[in-house]
Amino acid sequence: MISTFFYNLLAGYLPPILAEIGSVVGVFIVGTIIVLNIPLLLGWVDRKLSGRIQSRYGPVYTGPFGLLQNVADVIKLLGKRFITNQSIDKLIYDFIPIALSVLAALMIFVIPLGSPGLILVSIPYNLLFIYIFLALSPLLVLLAGWGQNNKYAMLSGFRGAAQITAYELTLLMALISIGILAGSYDISSIVNSQHTIWNAAYLPITLVLFVIASLAITERAPFDVPEASQELQAGWKIEYSGIRYGLFFIAEYVRLLVVSMLIVYLFFGGWNGVYLPDYAWFWIKTTVVTLFMMSLRWVYNRPRIDQLIDIGFKWLLPLSVINLIAVGFIAVY
Amino acid sequence: MRSGTGLGLISNFRFMEKERNRITINIGPVHPSTHGVLKFKVDISGDTMKKIEPEIGFVHRGVEKMAEMKYYSNFMPIADKLDYIAALNWEVLYASVVEKALKVVIPPRAVYLRTMMCELQRIMSHLLFIGHSGEDLGNTTLFMWGFRERELLMDIIEEVSGGRLAPMYISLGGMYYDLPPGLIPKLASTLDIIEKRVKNEYRALSYENGLFKMRTVGVGIIEANLAIKYGLTGPNARASGIKCDLRKNAPYLAYDKLDFDIITADAGDAYARFVVRVNEILESIKIVRQIIKDLPSGEIKVKVPWIFTIPPSYTFVRQETPRGEAAMYMVTDGGQKPYRLKIRAPSLYAVQAMSEIFVGGKVADIVAILGSLDPTPGEVDR
Repeated sequence: MISTFFYNLLAGYLPPILAEIGSVVGVFIVGTIIVLNIPLLLGWVDRKLSGRIQSRYGPVYTGPFGLLQNVADVIKLLGKRFITNQSIDKLIYDFIPIALSVLAALMIFVIPLGSPGLILVSIPYNLLFIYIFLALSPLLVLLAGWGQNNKYAMLSGFRGAAQITAYELTLLMALISIGILAGSYDISSIVNSQHTIWNAAYLPITLVLFVIASLAITERAPFDVPEASQELQAGWKIEYSGIRYGLFFIAEYVRLLVVSMLIVYLFFGGWNGVYLPDYAWFWIKTTVVTLFMMSLRWVYNRPRIDQLIDIGFKWLLPLSVINLIAVGFIAVY
Repeated sequence: MRSGTGLGLISNFRFMEKERNRITINIGPVHPSTHGVLKFKVDISGDTMKKIEPEIGFVHRGVEKMAEMKYYSNFMPIADKLDYIAALNWEVLYASVVEKALKVVIPPRAVYLRTMMCELQRIMSHLLFIGHSGEDLGNTTLFMWGFRERELLMDIIEEVSGGRLAPMYISLGGMYYDLPPGLIPKLASTLDIIEKRVKNEYRALSYENGLFKMRTVGVGIIEANLAIKYGLTGPNARASGIKCDLRKNAPYLAYDKLDFDIITADAGDAYARFVVRVNEILESIKIVRQIIKDLPSGEIKVKVPWIFTIPPSYTFVRQETPRGEAAMYMVTDGGQKPYRLKIRAPSLYAVQAMSEIFVGGKVADIVAILGSLDPTPGEVDR
């Protein structure tokens, strides 16, 4: 656990109370650095992958293999003027990008980073905390639509909230069935329970449900209905520009990574593996899952909003309830 | 009908209530999915379209008037920009009208070359349609792939004529240049590549893809009688089960000597229109291969002076462009310029029919249906 590590490091030189504060500051700095680097790295991977799929090169000019392209983009976004509408709800307008990116960052603070001890803040039931941070977003999307005082942003906010609400329950059901089986909502114990056999092997339906629901909840294409660029242009982000817009990318990519990490933890045995150290196994699996989640975007087109809600409420939700009951039976007998 | 009875008032009130719940939104004219500058005023109730009014004329350039003010040969670059996605087809059409009025017969090699260019242009146009359909439905990979294959043919056209989008390859009396040496093998291998990719790669991404079908099957259905009522032609009509293809029904150029089928489908929805165009690409590849095989040698043009007069006459020629039946009606009065040139653009009829096709669909279907009808504002507005 990283906070304990900082505490022990500082306790030799400082009184306990200062060491405590110092460890909090240390964890905060480390976590922020990790969070800020995720969109830079994942954004590059996303661009390169999409380029390769589409017979393009992707970024090549900035840095080796175009690695610094996203850094350049961030600098550009930072340098941009804030163009805002006169009639916005200023408080909500400024609050939403910060809230979304902080919520995403909090998930990185409570999720293990590849090995049982490698966690920024160790709390029990961290799976539930992550779910809450994921599930708070429809409210924020609605507020974002409201705060911009633009009818198109508002409509798109409704769409976003409807979509996320439709799939959130499915996600929750999938999480509960995993929790029932492992007997805990702590990610470490869920991983340990998969020591002999991965959950993916005997909960394939839950896996499919989880993947679909998590794609929908992260608003990645093919489920990017709230910001369908052919119908709505920028969706509920329409009035945002500059670094406020950039903050949404932090939220998007961190959530994508967290969801991929969750899939590995809950279904593919987390850090369980042979020969290689545990964090190596975990990051190999996470890379594969993340690439898979990203490439779906370039293969499928977007369903219509009514079809999306239909799938969510008419198929996935009943299926996930039945699945939950079945898993309950497995767990009891 | 609605007298002053209570019942009438109530129904009137309900009617107003319904009207009030409608929202009118404007889509376009500057919108990435309207395929140019086209505008729609859509009345929506909830997410369902109740009334739709296409607005055209944003790229009106007065092409028909321009024709009256130019020598016959000088109109060619403008004919080329009527439909900038199928420029060669319109060049061939205009050249055919003037040649028919002049009573000039072009040499057989020129006939075959023109047929080949028409078919290459048809493949290019349909590839662009496939790409745009993907883009409209949110699949950018299909867009990139469609343009990738179109680029291969663009290179061929560039090698032949020097131009890409507006090649200016057809001259009155034949072609400007003969094919450069080494082009035929390159063209054959390009066609192989395109055929392979359309059959395999595109299948996975579009016409056999579950989400693609979900968005297009049963969307924007055009019944056969609606297609006839609005004068739809080309792939849009053929997807509704109407066997109309001027290449077969009224053969021109070398089409009567070539072996190909009319591609039709029955459903009349966006998916059927997509599949018809995909199959037409394969059919056109077949035609081009036959042309490559029996391309006659000899002259490529007969001498037509740059400025000439045509005695008073009425000439009408119709040909099949990638969008349907295009026609030109030329009236000459013995001068050096046409007296009147009337152009029939197939896209215009598709745009007119939209006001009926869209009703009852969802807002997100606008782009799907519009994309499947494949109009070009350049030729609609002229």
